[in-house]
Amino acid sequence: MPEHRTQNTGYRIRFLLFALCSLLFALNGIALAELTAKANHDHITIDFFYHGSSVSVKGISEPGTDLIVKITSPERHEALRKKGKVAGFLWMNVGKLTFERAPFLYFLHSTKNIEDILGREEMDKYVLGYPALSRHMEVTPVANDKEKNIWFNEFLKYKESSNLYSTSSGKISTVTKNGKQEYSIVLDWPYQASPDNYVVTVHAVKNGKVAETAEAKVLVEQVGLVKGLADMAKNKAIFYGIISIIAALGAGFGVGLVFRKGGGAH
Amino acid sequence: MYLYLPVALTSINILIPIGLGLAVGLLSGLFGVGGGFLMTPLLIMLGIPATVAAATDSNQIVAASTSGTYAHWKVGNVDFKMGLYLLAGGFIGGLIGVQGIKILNTMGNADFVIKITYVLMLGIVGTYMFIESLLSMKKKKVEEVKAEKESGITRFLKSLPLQTHFEKSGVTHSAILPVVFGGFVGILAAIMGVGGGFLMVPVMVYILRMPMHVVVGTSLFQILFNCIEVTFLQAYTNHTVDFMLAVLLLLGSTVGAQIGTVFGRKLKGEQLKIILAVIVLVVTVKIIFELTLSPTLLLAQGGGH
Repeated sequence: MPEHRTQNTGYRIRFLLFALCSLLFALNGIALAELTAKANHDHITIDFFYHGSSVSVKGISEPGTDLIVKITSPERHEALRKKGKVAGFLWMNVGKLTFERAPFLYFLHSTKNIEDILGREEMDKYVLGYPALSRHMEVTPVANDKEKNIWFNEFLKYKESSNLYSTSSGKISTVTKNGKQEYSIVLDWPYQASPDNYVVTVHAVKNGKVAETAEAKVLVEQVGLVKGLADMAKNKAIFYGIISIIAALGAGFGVGLVFRKGGGAH
Repeated sequence: MYLYLPVALTSINILIPIGLGLAVGLLSGLFGVGGGFLMTPLLIMLGIPATVAAATDSNQIVAASTSGTYAHWKVGNVDFKMGLYLLAGGFIGGLIGVQGIKILNTMGNADFVIKITYVLMLGIVGTYMFIESLLSMKKKKVEEVKAEKESGITRFLKSLPLQTHFEKSGVTHSAILPVVFGGFVGILAAIMGVGGGFLMVPVMVYILRMPMHVVVGTSLFQILFNCIEVTFLQAYTNHTVDFMLAVLLLLGSTVGAQIGTVFGRKLKGEQLKIILAVIVLVVTVKIIFELTLSPTLLLAQGGGH
């Protein structure tokens, strides 16, 4: 008897564990399915008449959550010339700075000021916001953190002047429908953004922490003759150089002949 | 209407490069300069990466100088013999200048030396040309004094070996002279990262004593060959020539060079010199402002002038 009871108790425990696991799994599944992200224009093609585009990111989230939409390119290293004063009054290039782990493009938009909704640890973990990006990136050569901050801020100015970095809060619009929060944001896509695979990451924030994350992709690529010329410049450089020179010589002579004909008419 | 540039990776209103090309081509046809000292900074201001701006400018100068040389050759204003000597000197000078930049880079003060040399050369050449043309136009008696002063130099130049007559220019010089001065301009042009037309023109006018109209045609002839070499090297080693941008620029510059040549024929040599002097001085002042005023951005892409 005691053996039978023990067996029954074992079954019950296993059943309860199974039920609990199923419930947790289901709840987790619901939570994962809660946040969605979709970029409406996820394949941007660059032809001769391309002058930038627009990308809208939309999806569904749990009602009441704050949202952060981040768009970045793969990280790279950028070497830039730095300007400084020489002889006390002449501004000129005084050396090079290398920015490691720097995304070529970095857009960050949130429903509220990011520092009001996230703690520093979370911001650093997901590289959210300029202060977190500053801590994430490496700048060399610099003497100390103070100098690093100065040049990081100059880097931001440089990037923002080319429309490649931007942050905002309050631009994401949200509407609650049928117990779910629909969000959307429309962003100008700058023509300065080079062909690459861009990642759109949406974070749902609750109680100062990232609760959920969803991702979408934006592929930017050159097509047609633009791609043909760019590839030729890189891969068939000798041929490309010769063609460029012949075209210039031809154009020079051609216009010369046209003008000679024009002159002859007088 | 906007057009995307495949190598510069940017989009540009097509009227801007065509207009710029027209203006710089006009200067090219008028004065025999490539116009790189104007065009490259303007392209950078339009958002073209510095390396692409410099390389593509060389490509469009090939077109503008072909158009200009052709127009000047038709009216007999190209001294091919002198052009070839200058070209030979320029080529050797270019090689020496490139080594000079390497040395300056290792010393760590390349940019300072380049900028200061550039401003000084532009300032000295512009001021000298301006004053000299102004005096010539006023027809003061300076010429006589000058002639006396120059007689010593002239005697020295005449004593040099390998004397040869340059028919088109109507001058006789030692072959060493254009090669040495071509080399000198080549060294400075390579260090400053420009074509050197604004230096070559005064050398031909004041040292080689060539007539101004032949100077313009001959300068364009040697610029053409310099820029063919630079375009090829830039395309081959740096992949920075943007063909589409070059086409837009040359649409304007080839026509501009023809118009410039027509205008040039209507102006006297002294008038041409004084206008070029004013342009060179304006560029000098612009560079001085750039050097002394605080820049809005303290970071920039590598390359360019």
